[in-house]
Amino acid sequence: MVVDFGIPIGAGIAFGLGALGTGIAQSKIGAAGAGTIAEKPETFGLMIILVAIPETLVILGFVVASMIMIMLV
Amino acid sequence: MEYAYVNARIRAMKSRLLDRSLLEQFINKPDLDSLIAELEKTAYREEMEKAGILFSGITRIEVAIRKDLIRSFRAILNFIKGEDAETLLTIILHRWDIQNIKTILRGKKIQASPSEIFECLIPAGELDEAALTELVKQPDVKAVIDLLATWGFVYARPLTLNFKEFSETRDMLVLEYALDTFYYEDALSVVKSDESEDARILKRMIITEIDVNNIKTVLRVIRDRIDREEARRYFIRGSTEFDEEKLLSLMKAGTIEGVLKKLEQTPYQFLTKVPPEYVAVEKISAFEKELENYLVKKAISQFLGDPLSIAIPIAYIWAKYTEVTNIRVIARCKAAGMSEQDLREALISV
Repeated sequence: MVVDFGIPIGAGIAFGLGALGTGIAQSKIGAAGAGTIAEKPETFGLMIILVAIPETLVILGFVVASMIMIMLV
Repeated sequence: MEYAYVNARIRAMKSRLLDRSLLEQFINKPDLDSLIAELEKTAYREEMEKAGILFSGITRIEVAIRKDLIRSFRAILNFIKGEDAETLLTIILHRWDIQNIKTILRGKKIQASPSEIFECLIPAGELDEAALTELVKQPDVKAVIDLLATWGFVYARPLTLNFKEFSETRDMLVLEYALDTFYYEDALSVVKSDESEDARILKRMIITEIDVNNIKTVLRVIRDRIDREEARRYFIRGSTEFDEEKLLSLMKAGTIEGVLKKLEQTPYQFLTKVPPEYVAVEKISAFEKELENYLVKKAISQFLGDPLSIAIPIAYIWAKYTEVTNIRVIARCKAAGMSEQDLREALISV
């Protein structure tokens, strides 16, 4: 069986870049969230939600990567 | 510098600043005791309670708001300790050092009591309460300058250099101008050597301050009919908007109306809205008030600037200073039994 390496590499890029984007976004939101919680501890719950929002990027990347990988099956 | 953490904290601190409706409530209070009771319900509660142990009446308010202001400014400096922004923000805080030194020198010249002088100080800069207490205890202007020089305080230099002229003329303007020039030249040299966006934001603010000071000088010079060549030495250099040539052309107008007409095409056209009766009697304080309000508004509007820059700390420092000044004004007006209209006129409106 001949494996087209472009498919797993494409899936890796889709997942990896999504994860990178999430990381960058969460680093900024996390820092700002920590600052806000330091001054207003009551905003803790809201901050958890805000920090989690960029997770959608990596989930989307994961879905796209999975769809690409299905092509291998 | 990473501003996400610092600016989020500062924005949270901003949310504790008093809004306009609360200030209105303060204004509507019938006396000082009810104002104190109202202040105890705000973010000033902790400092009010602490100050209440040793002081009462207006002194209690003065001490509490002063401590709160210092605590806020020190907190911001701690957030950015060791970062490039610390140097830039210290420039802004030095503004209050200059203001405090001027107040002490003026107080010493008119031989006001140390407690009277101290009441007018805002220890938000490098000179803390202990240093200012020591300065107000000095017997005269020379002793104040000598003490600053002994401490190696940078702003002692322009005072020492110009003291001879002051002792001959007894004109406080000589020392005040020397201080201002030194401060702005020093501030501009720091921001000009820095290529960052933060430095650019600060530079814009400093230039606005220089312009405001220079326009005030032009108006005073015209009112006092001072010779143009003599007035020239009181201009602070460094502005790109109003350079010396433009300021001299403003002075050529010869009258307040003429200056206002020339300012119509500039960001200072709001001065034309000052009531004509003030223009007629050349009441410069009305223009100074408008210019101060413009400066404060411009500084506080930095909250709308880049959220990940020095704009937010700058805006907070000015907003806090404005709030403290307004509470002080309300408290003093209540203590002196002044009318509501006079009180409102004395407030910084934002």
